[in-house]
Amino acid sequence: MGSIRFDKVDKVFGPVSGGVKALDDINLEIADKEFVAIVGPSGCGKTTCLRMVAGFEPPSAGIVSVNGKTVTSPGPDRAVVFQQFALFPWKTVRENIELGLRNKNLPRAERDGLVAGALRLMNLESHAGAFPHQLSGGMQQRVAIARAYVLDPEVLLMDEPFGALDAQTRVVMQEELVRLARVNPRTVLFITHAVEEAVYLADRVAIMTRRPGRIKEVLDIRSVRAAENWDRHERIEDVMDLESFVHLRTQIWKSLREEKGPHGA
Amino acid sequence: MIGRRAWVGLGSVAAMLLLWFGLTTATGLISPGRFPSPADFWLSLNQIASRGYAGAALAAHALQSVKLVVLGFLVAIATGVPLGLWMGWDRRAEAAINPVFLIIRPIPPLAWIPLAILGDGAKIMVIWFAAFVPSVINAFAGVRNIDRPIIEAAQMLGTPRWRMVTEIIAPAAAPMIFTGLRLSLQASWTTLVAAELVGALAGIGFVLNMAQQDIYPGMILVGMVTVGVLGWATTSVLGLAERRALAWNVAGRD
Amino acid sequence: MQATPLRLREKCAWGALGLLGFIGLWTALSAFGIVPRQFLPSPLDVLARFVHLLTTPFAGATLPQHLASSFQRYAYGVLLAAFIGVPLGLLMGWFRWLDDVVTPLFDGLRFIAPIAWVPFAALWFGVGIGGPILIIFAGAFPPCLINAYRGARFVEPRLIEAARMLGTGHLRMILEILLPAATPSIVSGLRVAAGLGWQSLVGAELIVAAAGVGFMMVQAQANVATPTVMAGMVAIGLVGMAIDVMLRQGEAWLRRRRGLPA
Repeated sequence: MGSIRFDKVDKVFGPVSGGVKALDDINLEIADKEFVAIVGPSGCGKTTCLRMVAGFEPPSAGIVSVNGKTVTSPGPDRAVVFQQFALFPWKTVRENIELGLRNKNLPRAERDGLVAGALRLMNLESHAGAFPHQLSGGMQQRVAIARAYVLDPEVLLMDEPFGALDAQTRVVMQEELVRLARVNPRTVLFITHAVEEAVYLADRVAIMTRRPGRIKEVLDIRSVRAAENWDRHERIEDVMDLESFVHLRTQIWKSLREEKGPHGA
Repeated sequence: MIGRRAWVGLGSVAAMLLLWFGLTTATGLISPGRFPSPADFWLSLNQIASRGYAGAALAAHALQSVKLVVLGFLVAIATGVPLGLWMGWDRRAEAAINPVFLIIRPIPPLAWIPLAILGDGAKIMVIWFAAFVPSVINAFAGVRNIDRPIIEAAQMLGTPRWRMVTEIIAPAAAPMIFTGLRLSLQASWTTLVAAELVGALAGIGFVLNMAQQDIYPGMILVGMVTVGVLGWATTSVLGLAERRALAWNVAGRD
Repeated sequence: MQATPLRLREKCAWGALGLLGFIGLWTALSAFGIVPRQFLPSPLDVLARFVHLLTTPFAGATLPQHLASSFQRYAYGVLLAAFIGVPLGLLMGWFRWLDDVVTPLFDGLRFIAPIAWVPFAALWFGVGIGGPILIIFAGAFPPCLINAYRGARFVEPRLIEAARMLGTGHLRMILEILLPAATPSIVSGLRVAAGLGWQSLVGAELIVAAAGVGFMMVQAQANVATPTVMAGMVAIGLVGMAIDVMLRQGEAWLRRRRGLPA
């Protein structure tokens, strides 16, 4: 249903010859309702991968498809949570969340119900009438997530969504995301350079190389999580204390370190 | 709200007025044939306000001018802003329309003045030519300056064409659009006064024309001041609209 | 909005299409008498007249000579407006007290349409060069000032704060922070000022000049030689376009350097 597939995907920016090759032969399959995180050094092209699934950039070679259909344009079936929030400053919180539903031509009653649910889910009820600039970063990101979630999309694309948040808010958001994912799972492609975040949230973690980006390896987290029963711990710090968690995290760090240049760049 | 700022402003104006009085009446450095003294100005103002000049009283002339400006302005922005938005959004439209636009644009609407003599409708058309351009340019720039993520978010949400324009592009481009509206209003006034200078039988421009022919500096100044006041009044109305429309905008160092 | 600019070929193709459509419409309007011939001669008439005027004098000089004369006045007026308006705008954007002093005066004068200065210009300068320059200045000055002011005033506050934290003095703040940050706005203002200046020029020349394209057009109007009037308009349009194209190239180059979208 919500499967994603990268098939021999290349991406070159600029003129065809002499341009910058951002992605080289990306092959990745994400199953329906799977949560996959992509980690990698800055500039490795991980955001570009997400943007191709979103439909904002076409691949230079190869095929990016969702549910077997090649991606051609953006749409609410692949909801995006942007790093810089991208909220509409002239719309209130409620209006921001509501827009996608209005575009689907849902009747008023249904819309109001869904929006109310999203506001409750994201703890935004008391701020429904506020404008984005009146909210903190964490709250703005909540609005961005609510806006995406309320569409009940098959695929959720999150581009370093917590990057602009402070550490405490970040932790809270990560826990919330896990809660949502367990309750109402859907396919998620999550871009981050925070390794711990990736290991905590994802079913699988794909590691990318330096530019031109390639998928270096893909680690399976889910089996470890199930075997070690991470879910018995509610708090993030307890999970991150587990030996199995630390082992995976370190494995990824080592792999990423190899990607750094001789001067640690 | 009479703060420090207002006092400084009043001080500036007062200093200017003193300078005016000083240079004309007190020292005679500027002769009355070149620039009126405060007294000359006052006399002229009285004349036109009560007895009338060039065929009517000040109020009637002013009303005539304002009427034409407002009509011309509205027609200009109703056509210019959508065109600018379209050109900003659709690069093919830009490529097609730009050359024609660039050629038409610098052609002075005043060259159509002979037609303007034909009556009010023609004057409105001439105003339209002039005021149209700044609206297009600024609406165009407003669209081009929109943050990419905003557009992408709206696309991702499946926003259809019409809604994209009215709820996303127009508000996002609104600050620059309003800059364009201000300029359009200025252009409207300029064109109107020019048209009335050359081919009218009423209006402030006509007053200026008559005053120039009569070599009546006091009345020239009255005409100019009236143009200024009316311009200010109309611009303030626009400013009110802008403040309401951009209430969400958090710009500025305040 | 479409992210990628069109290739030059595509741009030219669409541009040519637009121009052809426009000329077609014009020819139709004139040929079928929808607009009387007196007011709208056919494109061919205008073109013929235009070529004729390139070498044959009318109202005292050939078309290129009139253009040169006009352009000179125009350049003086616009450059004067830019050299005074832009620095003043930047300073007003930074020094609040200067803003408080100048703005009331500027606001008072600003609403007087530049053309309203014509009677005084005629009185003071006769048909000398000062008249048109005054009027062009009056027209081109506000956009230069306002755009520079707004550009400086609305610089991202974080940038100002960062600069202050780094101990930046006033002069450096204006030259190295405000000016670069305000440059897109300033350039946009210059484009508008250039356009307004060119328009004001003709308005001015219609009444207070003894040479120049505007003057030529007035003489032609008086003789109901409409093709000449329109040839003048075409000439003005072409020069105006050239000016605008150059400014747009400059603006685009600047935006590319800054990493802003084209």
